[in-house]
Amino acid sequence: MNDERTEDRRPPLRPLLALTTAALAGATIWLGPAPAEEPGPGAGEPARARFSMLPSNHMVLRAMLNGKGPYRLIFDLGAPITLLSNKAAEGSGAVDAKAPRSFLFSMRGEAEVRELRVGNLKAEKVPVVVFDHPALGVLSDVLGEPIDGIIGFTFFARYRTTIDYQKDEMTFAPVDFEVRDLMKDLPDRIAGPKVARSRVLAPGGLWGLRLGEAEPDGRGVRVAAVAPGSPAALAGLAAGDVLTAIDGRWTTSAHDVYAAAASVEPGREAPVAAVRDGKEIALNVRPADGA
Amino acid sequence: MIHKFIGVAATLALVGLAAAVGAQDKAGDVKDPQVGRAFRVPYRLTDTNHFLVRVRIDGKGPFNFLVDSGAPALYVATETAAKIGLKAPEKGFWTPVDSLEIEGGARLEKVKARVEDPFQLVGMNALGLPGASIDGILGFTILARFKLEIDLTRDRMTWTRLDFIPPDPPVPTDEDRKNPPAEMQLMNALGPVAKGLAFLIGKQPEEQLAPRGFLGLEWAASAADPRAVEIRRVLPDSPAARAGVAAGDLLIRVDGRPVDGLPAARDAVAGLRRDQAVELVVKRGGEEKALRATAGEGL
Repeated sequence: MNDERTEDRRPPLRPLLALTTAALAGATIWLGPAPAEEPGPGAGEPARARFSMLPSNHMVLRAMLNGKGPYRLIFDLGAPITLLSNKAAEGSGAVDAKAPRSFLFSMRGEAEVRELRVGNLKAEKVPVVVFDHPALGVLSDVLGEPIDGIIGFTFFARYRTTIDYQKDEMTFAPVDFEVRDLMKDLPDRIAGPKVARSRVLAPGGLWGLRLGEAEPDGRGVRVAAVAPGSPAALAGLAAGDVLTAIDGRWTTSAHDVYAAAASVEPGREAPVAAVRDGKEIALNVRPADGA
Repeated sequence: MIHKFIGVAATLALVGLAAAVGAQDKAGDVKDPQVGRAFRVPYRLTDTNHFLVRVRIDGKGPFNFLVDSGAPALYVATETAAKIGLKAPEKGFWTPVDSLEIEGGARLEKVKARVEDPFQLVGMNALGLPGASIDGILGFTILARFKLEIDLTRDRMTWTRLDFIPPDPPVPTDEDRKNPPAEMQLMNALGPVAKGLAFLIGKQPEEQLAPRGFLGLEWAASAADPRAVEIRRVLPDSPAARAGVAAGDLLIRVDGRPVDGLPAARDAVAGLRRDQAVELVVKRGGEEKALRATAGEGL
């Protein structure tokens, strides 16, 4: 039974391989010069990088690591870390070829790429985790070309990143975000007490509302009372209205209402969507500074 | 002949080409009114550095979906599909979805979902991420319809709708085969990154959220001294009114914390819980008064 299934799946892979090679050859021309040859972005301009799509619908960037390469790295919004294969890590000098390996995936642990270039972006001191991810091995086999790693959160969180699948282009503009290092946090998380954290959801300003029950099936939260003369009253909200969205955020629970109000600074007019007597209404509330 | 070739190539790799072909095929169709619009999509970043956004499917929800460019399609977990009333067809690979709304206003009609529990989901849910179960995955066939902007210093992403419908990943030719094709299995194989961490971290407890307590005070910077916070209004029947706070009072301290400006005033009450007693020291006619209030319910 198993053999039969394997047999079934084999045929699509062979033409896939051939076509992929052809497509990638095309992509190489189309992607333009290797990253090392591109001039940096102009002042105030974000850096740009072209990506190509694998048959598996993964985005692939060609990257120079410490001046070596190019290496082919999958860009993955769902990957919390940036990962390099042993081969790429050794070839680029990110890890010493003599560094010990663990028996599991030849795990080398954490390392740092001094300089990573994609398109005209130059990133420095990029933390990576070095191991041979089995999926990348399988992908490389199918494609007939090595996939050398995955670019994940620890890289792209440094930038305001845009991804345009229509143009096959990404842009990167640096932002001031401190990237939490998942791998460094791990020991604490494992050892740490499994106690629920507690957080107060503070609205940005004073609205003058008291909430009632949430409606069933995520339909919204009913307003129990509106304080006379308050920002909510001035905007026209009334007891009995069912709040469905505040400032573009859905409000299906009281927590949702507080979380949405938390990002409305005092004095800023926020759109509020509600249902009154079965009809949708749209209002604008300008919360006051206060509590 | 040429069309056939383009069809094959597009399905396999050449997404750009696929767009061009798609546009030609649908020349007569009315353009989606959302094309060109930018949507501000609220997201949550999990402890494991994954992005969650909320969606409604066929009007049901909201549900938490993972934003994962490493996933090939729209995945709806089997439990979520049951809640929505989505039924996987007897034959075929995809389950049709009438509407997919993404928090922030984006809406897609008539999209295809795969009802399945990829092990990213199983793994992520094993983590016990604070306050959220993960109900599905927004993968390539959904994400590629937008230009995505991600900036961790902002609390929302910006998704701009493109005039572009990405091709579906290849599916098994045999209509009633239930197993995903090799290409999709390959994509799913990236999942163990998350699951591996899950097994190390173990289940995390849910975060407890408490709404902030209510006082019923409006304040502003004093005209005489911009570092002084003056009460502008006290809402009738509010905890502040019951405590005796009056318009014109200067707010000096909250529970012993000095108030020397609007940011300090906001900070001083930010952690106030419902039913919590709080001491408000105000200055009225040159005299300081300590007033006791009990935070109420509201915002």
